[in-house]
Amino acid sequence: MPEETPFKIAVPDDALSLLQRKLADTRLPDEVEGAGWDYGTPLSDIKRLVDRWRGGYDWHAHERELNQHLPMFTRDIEVDGFGVLNMHYVHKKSKVAGAVPVLFVHGWPGSFIEVSKILPLLTAGGAGHPSFHVVAPSLPGFGWSEAAHKPGFRGTHYAELFNKLMLSLGYSEYVTQGGDWGHVITRILASQYGPKHVKASHTNMPICSTDIFGTFRNNPLRFAKYLLTPYTPREREGMARSRMFQKTGMGYFAQQSTRPQTLGYNLGDSPVGLLAWIYEKIGPGTDNYPWTDDEVLTWISIYWFSRAGPSASTRIYYELSKSEEVFRTPRTSVPVGISFFPKEVFHAPRELLRAELNVVFESEHDAGGHFAAYEKPEALVDDLRRMFGRGGPAAGVVPGHSGF
Amino acid sequence: MSSEQSFQIAVPDDALELLKRKLTDARFPDEVDEADWDFGAPLADIKRLINRWKDGYDWRTHESEFNKLPMFTRDIDVEGFGTLNVHYVHQKSVVEGAIPLLFVHGWPGSFIEVTKILPLLTAGGLDHPSFHVVAPSLPGYAWSSTVLKRGFRGKQYAELFNKLMISLGYNEYVTQGGDWGYYITRTLAAHHGPRNVKASHTNLPHASAPTFWASPVQYIKHLVLPYTALERQELAHHQEFVTRGRGYYLEQSTRPQTIGYSLSDSPIGMLAWIYEKLVAWSDSYPWTDDEVLTWVSIYWFSRAGPAASVRIYYEIGGSGETWDMPRPTVPFGASYFPKEFGSTPRTFMRGECNVVFESEHTSGGHFAAFENPQGLADDLRKMFGKNGPAAGVVSGRDGF
Repeated sequence: MPEETPFKIAVPDDALSLLQRKLADTRLPDEVEGAGWDYGTPLSDIKRLVDRWRGGYDWHAHERELNQHLPMFTRDIEVDGFGVLNMHYVHKKSKVAGAVPVLFVHGWPGSFIEVSKILPLLTAGGAGHPSFHVVAPSLPGFGWSEAAHKPGFRGTHYAELFNKLMLSLGYSEYVTQGGDWGHVITRILASQYGPKHVKASHTNMPICSTDIFGTFRNNPLRFAKYLLTPYTPREREGMARSRMFQKTGMGYFAQQSTRPQTLGYNLGDSPVGLLAWIYEKIGPGTDNYPWTDDEVLTWISIYWFSRAGPSASTRIYYELSKSEEVFRTPRTSVPVGISFFPKEVFHAPRELLRAELNVVFESEHDAGGHFAAYEKPEALVDDLRRMFGRGGPAAGVVPGHSGF
Repeated sequence: MSSEQSFQIAVPDDALELLKRKLTDARFPDEVDEADWDFGAPLADIKRLINRWKDGYDWRTHESEFNKLPMFTRDIDVEGFGTLNVHYVHQKSVVEGAIPLLFVHGWPGSFIEVTKILPLLTAGGLDHPSFHVVAPSLPGYAWSSTVLKRGFRGKQYAELFNKLMISLGYNEYVTQGGDWGYYITRTLAAHHGPRNVKASHTNLPHASAPTFWASPVQYIKHLVLPYTALERQELAHHQEFVTRGRGYYLEQSTRPQTIGYSLSDSPIGMLAWIYEKLVAWSDSYPWTDDEVLTWVSIYWFSRAGPAASVRIYYEIGGSGETWDMPRPTVPFGASYFPKEFGSTPRTFMRGECNVVFESEHTSGGHFAAFENPQGLADDLRKMFGKNGPAAGVVSGRDGF
């Protein structure tokens, strides 16, 4: 058994007092009449959330809950050219010894908390469905993972980092699940370490590479099929949603991918600024998920109290945009499963995805948004069980770890 | 419209105390090694500025300096938007026949941008014209009230400032503007020229490529003649802006409220947001810490708060609204400063506006009036002076 260093979140008292002092001195802006969500996060929501954060919201209770329900650890991992990074991760093994090892990678503005609902479902043993051993790290600069200290931390470094993590835990062959940055990173992982280590990948965020010509060259017949197949109504709706998001919702992306440090002074110093910045995405980004105020505040608190501070979390946009890896996601022959959730903001045409990737599993849902693992845990786990279960298209991809 | 009220800035003590508390509790981010300016404003700069702002920088001194300027407020009605209270600087020249000039600032500037050229423009002289200068604060900036109804766009700014000039007895006047000031003065010229606006000058000469139908001569020249070395340099500078410097624009034009929370609540956040542009957009201007802090304090202590100032991006050209650059007929002057990221090749402005005056400088950037006041003042003197291309445009007020 590989040795692990257990970790418990323990935010110091002075950090909590500082937060309270800042909240007490919050200076709110005005707002245009009838703004709704048009201009950004609504003032009435922010007022209510700040009031709750100041009085009523109990961070210690949520910290206890996270510590209780999520088995967390830290581990030093060396990345070529970047030295040692101390990584924070959740690791839960199933009682089923032959469970499928799965690496779950979160994105922004998510965190390791996104694994919390699917964790008990994935690790549960069962006669009819496969079981999983789950590893869910915090990206460098998120949660309690150390941030990279030098510029140039690219996709290949994330891949190296997470592959080493899995290997160090005794999982030399594994599968991956990811949305948002998790999708980009697991794709790079698959292209770099598959099929030797990464045997299959699943995603809930279907994006295509912008390297359309490359896709054509790689799979001309499939590409031709894409050109000839009319879009389904669902696809059209999804693409319309994407276009709207590109037009009105990419301000954060433009800022984070060009001047993350400048933004970082705001996010690190102003709790209400950080709250508004993140809530703008998690509020409307779901499919009417009934966020409680305390849930929202916990999501934001993880950023506020994070080891590296909120600013560090935005650098991934800068690095992976500069390297273009976020746009030109690599092709991979590793079997891929895709779950389509209707309110996801990034959509790509089905046929193009099939031309680009080795798609072996697809699942269309009638409800759910960007944060699928958190909004629709049963649906997502069901998809993974079907993909990897007996008779599934990726059954037994990990030798000796069929899930049973 | 009501009468003019003399105005003095008087930031309340509790506002200063709140700022001090926030500065004391400032929480700084980390920074990657050797980041320099690549990721945004450098940590060392921001730390130094915050420490100065907390201890050493004296707002009251600068406030008193501003209060020596002739400042006023005035109520002005704008159709559909009710009454706005406009804060402005108004300095008359000793020369009675001086040319009335409306100076319009932009973001992240303010009325402070007029302070260096004010004495130059209003000075009498035998060999150069003199000006009466009016420099308002845009709604939502400094001590002008803000608009809380959506849809306040070019036409409304034009109406507001045209009414301001007329209320001051300047039925005919000329304009000078950069940044938003350029867009606003161009709209003013289109809607209220040549009746009220007789000529316009800009230090952000930005236009679209000439089309054959609209400006055949410029179209052909653009097609046939190569760009000059300076134009190529400007284009490269512009490209840099487009690829790496537009994050603020995309955020402010789509989600001004969201960024507004940070700008209102965090002095270090707001400082960094503005400071990045003060340095990036100027031509190695040797900003002193106190200069930066004064520019930023105007936003921090502004009447409507910093969030109000970025709404203009949303309302005009943001979130799908049409970006209308009207074509005025009145004489236009264009000054090209080498580090102005918005300058376009000469044929562009010539194709869209009635350009009668052009000048090229070897130093200066986006904040021309502040960085190179003599250069800008000289241009205005040449444009409007005896035998200048816009001499005597304002009846009975030739500047002498």
